[in-house]
Amino acid sequence: MTAVAAPPSPRIDTAVARPSRSRVGTVVRSAASAALGVWWLAPLVPMLLWAFADRWTFPDRLPRQWGLDGWRAAFEAGAGSAMASSLAVAVVVAVIATPLGAMAARALETHDIRHGRLVGVLLVLPVAVPPFAVVLGLTSVTLRWGIPGSVALITALVAFSLPYTVSVMRAAYAAHDLTMEEQARTLGASPRSTLWRVHLPMVAPSLVMSAFLAFLVAWSDYLMTLVLGAGRVTTLAQLLGSSASSSGHDSSVAVIAALIVAPPLVLLAAIHLSIRRTAQR
Amino acid sequence: MTTDATERRASTPRGRGSLLALPALAPVLAVLVLGLGSAVLQSVGLMPLAGQPAFTTSAYSALASPAVADGMRISLAIAAASTAIAVVLGLTAALLVHRIAPRRGFLALLAAATVPVPHLVGAIATGLLLSDSGLVSRLLGADPTTFPQLIAGPWWVGVVAEYAWKESAFVALVVLVSLSQRERELSEAAAVLGASAWERFRRVTLPLASPALVVSATLSAAYVVGSYEVSWLLGRSYPEPLPVLAYRLFTDVDLDTRPEAMAVAVLTVGVAGAIALVGTVMLRRTAAAR
Repeated sequence: MTAVAAPPSPRIDTAVARPSRSRVGTVVRSAASAALGVWWLAPLVPMLLWAFADRWTFPDRLPRQWGLDGWRAAFEAGAGSAMASSLAVAVVVAVIATPLGAMAARALETHDIRHGRLVGVLLVLPVAVPPFAVVLGLTSVTLRWGIPGSVALITALVAFSLPYTVSVMRAAYAAHDLTMEEQARTLGASPRSTLWRVHLPMVAPSLVMSAFLAFLVAWSDYLMTLVLGAGRVTTLAQLLGSSASSSGHDSSVAVIAALIVAPPLVLLAAIHLSIRRTAQR
Repeated sequence: MTTDATERRASTPRGRGSLLALPALAPVLAVLVLGLGSAVLQSVGLMPLAGQPAFTTSAYSALASPAVADGMRISLAIAAASTAIAVVLGLTAALLVHRIAPRRGFLALLAAATVPVPHLVGAIATGLLLSDSGLVSRLLGADPTTFPQLIAGPWWVGVVAEYAWKESAFVALVVLVSLSQRERELSEAAAVLGASAWERFRRVTLPLASPALVVSATLSAAYVVGSYEVSWLLGRSYPEPLPVLAYRLFTDVDLDTRPEAMAVAVLTVGVAGAIALVGTVMLRRTAAAR
């Protein structure tokens, strides 16, 4: 009897107390997760509704008439050619900034280069410098020296993408196993085939991520293109900025905004799926 | 650096490594040196659009004007408010995703999908959501004349909300990466040793997350101080945040305002640089405390 009357050990006590505490916790956590979900989704909801709203007068909660008027208006305003410009600029920037970033990262991680720390700091410095200040100064120089605005723009966008490509590739090369390349060389592979068949395939996922980030910097840019392009480079962001500040035709503005949001998200999803598939193989 | 890494570094010739880094250094140095150099030269009258160069500090004396002081104040206030909200929400989201299950994949996915949305798009979306005829006002059945002025209003709610919206996703992703399996193990060990939930958060989770928090908060604040389009679209006409003020002076038909535009640009670079410096010092401290 005394054994039964003995007080329960604290261990059992917490084990009993736990379920109720964690049930409250689960409710709190679910509520917090839902609130954060709403926080991140909310701004995109009116944008998507407006993109398919032909008529949506105040104070209607939902569009009165659905349709594709906004899409027609957006493409009449030049969304098609703007998208082509955006793609061209972003692809060129990604194609330049990715190999440059990878080479610099390789140098910083696997070679003993002079002033390596300084070089590393300089290459990430652009993230701490406001781009608008740089291009306001730069445009006077390019005008004076007769450098074409498109060249100046691509160079500036590459410079502001490099911090991202260098950082991603440095992480890749820090974890990179050099012995594979050495073995390939020992077995008689030429430097070129070692690069293409051993080295690059090993860092391919990081190269893809770098290219995506560089693409995104150029694709998202508004002010650098406005100043250095001097109104002649009409990307989707330029079109969005000018139509948002002038027309007030909400449905075509929402369509242009949606056209900017969609491609990076599709790309990101595709990258994740392909990386996951390669990892499974 | 491991000894292995040192050995393999020593085996490669020095010159080749520097050559590999040069193509990346060239555009960065060209853009930063020419851009900032020209901004400084123009601000002190040594690179005039017309006429003879003559050194003057008048553009910097003009920085003492109330427009610049108010612009500086509003820029810092927007950066501080949006970064503070982003840190709290981003950390909360990262902890929810890292620690406990309910719909965690969904939350991480939303954060990852928010980061690539350009600020210009975010600003327009925020306008469609929060303006007096926006979706929130419609859903509440509000009277647009009495609806609080969230867009272009005295409290800069729309601007702060947009920055906090995107930067919170950025903070969440950075912190999530830094909270590795180690946090879970240490936290469980602390729980077995009798630490309460608050103690575990205070002494295990927060110290492990703080370097990532400091880095992401610093990058956000420096970015917000130097960013143009959100304040331009959702802000008021006065006071103008520094980038908006600089760009308006830059595009003024009166070319005499050019040096002042450049002085404001140089000032903004200084502010962003100071934020980066404070962040670096804080990072050193959190790293040292560990």
